[in-house]
Amino acid sequence: MIRHSALLFALLCVTLIVAYWQLWPKPIPDWTAEDLAVLRSLSLESLGDLRPDPSNAVADNPLAAEFGSQLFFDTRLSANGGISCATCHQPIRRFTDGLQKGQAIGTTDRNTPSIVGAAYSPWQFWDGRRDSLWSQALAPLEDEREHAFDRGQVTALVASDPQYREFYETLFGRLPEPEPADIRSTNVVFANIGKAIAAFERTIMPSESRFDRYVSSLVDGDVERQKELFSNDEIRGLRLFIGEANCTQCHNGPLFTNHEFHNTGVVSFPGDVPDKGRVAGVREVMLNEFNCKGAYSDDDERSCDELEYARTDATLIGAFKTPSLRNLENTAPFMHKGQFATLAEVLQHYNVAADAMIGHNEAQPLGFSQRKLNQLEAFLVTLAAPIEMTMSQAEQGD
Amino acid sequence: MIVHRISIIFLLFFVFGHNVALAHGGVVEEDDLCVIKVNYLRAHFKVYQPATRGLEQFCEDLPTATQSIFVMEYQHDSLSQMEVDFRIIRDVTGKGRFARLEDVEQIADIEGATVFYQAPVVEPDVYLVSHEFVEEGDFVGIVSARQMQSGKLYTAVFPFEVGFTGLGYWPFFIALLVILQIQYLYMSGRLRKWFGRNTGAASLLLVALFFAMSDAKASGLRVSFTAPEGQPRINQMHSWILHIVDESGRAVEGAIVEVDGGMPKHDHGLPTKPRVTEELGGGDYKLEGLRFHMSGYWEILVRVTTDAGTTVVTMPLQL
Repeated sequence: MIRHSALLFALLCVTLIVAYWQLWPKPIPDWTAEDLAVLRSLSLESLGDLRPDPSNAVADNPLAAEFGSQLFFDTRLSANGGISCATCHQPIRRFTDGLQKGQAIGTTDRNTPSIVGAAYSPWQFWDGRRDSLWSQALAPLEDEREHAFDRGQVTALVASDPQYREFYETLFGRLPEPEPADIRSTNVVFANIGKAIAAFERTIMPSESRFDRYVSSLVDGDVERQKELFSNDEIRGLRLFIGEANCTQCHNGPLFTNHEFHNTGVVSFPGDVPDKGRVAGVREVMLNEFNCKGAYSDDDERSCDELEYARTDATLIGAFKTPSLRNLENTAPFMHKGQFATLAEVLQHYNVAADAMIGHNEAQPLGFSQRKLNQLEAFLVTLAAPIEMTMSQAEQGD
Repeated sequence: MIVHRISIIFLLFFVFGHNVALAHGGVVEEDDLCVIKVNYLRAHFKVYQPATRGLEQFCEDLPTATQSIFVMEYQHDSLSQMEVDFRIIRDVTGKGRFARLEDVEQIADIEGATVFYQAPVVEPDVYLVSHEFVEEGDFVGIVSARQMQSGKLYTAVFPFEVGFTGLGYWPFFIALLVILQIQYLYMSGRLRKWFGRNTGAASLLLVALFFAMSDAKASGLRVSFTAPEGQPRINQMHSWILHIVDESGRAVEGAIVEVDGGMPKHDHGLPTKPRVTEELGGGDYKLEGLRFHMSGYWEILVRVTTDAGTTVVTMPLQL
């Protein structure tokens, strides 16, 4: 009997020790100078000024942004009079739509990406098949599944609406006569409409999140404020994010994206063949008449470094643009076809990182415990913040 | 139209574990079990059933009648310029796993037996086909590739089963097929010829290697760079000046300079295709279109070709 109790006691001790080891919070080490440098590079404070877009002469013209915002919310720019850019890019959902795939006149091929901070990216769309915001804005207008409109109808609308005509002629000069319509002048008007929409989109930026405030409290050495801002789990999650989990290999810089294309082996959408992604997108952007080197670009020097030096090889099979991680809570479902409904599913995907269906999965399995995954998720949520609009038209979109 | 004799084999690559020293997962050595051989053209071949099996790969036999995605990744560039069509028929040959092209050619009503047909299409990157099987059973896949100029048609045939539950006899059949193929090659004298050819090639390679090494020795080039924008930063386009000198410190002029690079630890290259756009004189070359998209250890490979030969110089770069 005594022997029996001794055994039980020993067992209890072992259980307690293991439980302590597993559950008792371990002290969190301080951030090193090197860590701090990485954290500062992720903070919104490192987001430099938006670089000028030489291919768009009105990119930073406030009047163009005002014109662009009206166009953005205008449902007349569609075959059925019911679709505007804001149908899918809803300001309230961080300019996404909460659906797996975009839904306008028809269903698109991919998840609606956010516009917030998109002006910083050299490539637009998940596969980068456009090289500027203005050429991007043109594609959905003519897509049968989106606005199902065409450039001739766009030109006619601008000509028939007195306010639009005034905007246009102030910004771009005389609107060409609708009759006889020639392709070149129709294209010029169409491109200019894209440039006005781009000018509006260039004003849509992320604002300071709890993470950014935490970094500034670290820089200031304000310990009280640090405790107020970040829980231990969030700190651990952040530590994993910049360390062991290797997230910053792709999600780096103040927008948490390197604006590049990577294959992370996401399973294909039910019923679809796997999406080829960038390898097809780069081919398309090279041939697009509205690209940086095209006749409708305002860049007289046609320097176009991004197009000039773009990679085109088979490593881009199944690769998609790294999305920003700022404010994830409003942008679910995730991935290029909205394959994952929750952040937990996304993290589970990286935890396993199986071989890709096509191309080569660049991600390495994390192999984390559920606890670590929860910490990562806790950190990711701290990137939530409202959108900052540098102009007043945003409220039109409600 | 000539229908070439098929030479189809499924090679089974047994996987020797995953601990290959590659970060970012495996590349070619992954669980990619099958190689389809359409005449001399090779492609990795795999099938997925994403709805029921997620990212699990199948070589030929499929567990359930559901949406199945057939993926062919070319190992031979010319396939990417050929029109490829893909047909799946119910196995009406009565030969099951032994069905061959000859048997398929004898089917009078191939359209009647067809459950899926993808018309010829040129797919430059990867060939993808999706078919929703409605019933289990034996099927035969037929892949044809047409050379655009000559009109030559190459065809491969692969029998498979849908609703396949275990390994069954198929490893045995694979072994038998391989043995038969080797025997055929041996009997036809091709194997001996192949060995003969490759001994020649191997000695040529050795000679070439010797010359390459002596070249590198003869031209111990040194390459340095200056970045006018200051310390290289990630996610920005860079334009550098490369300075190339030979062993004795003399500027190397009139060279062809090519640049590539990547992160050896992450098994990927540069995000862009940088180019030397101008020779500035005095051993200086202008390099444009360079970008880095991650912090960490990079290697820039500079390939310098002069009259004396080609040298590749590696420049380490910590970002």
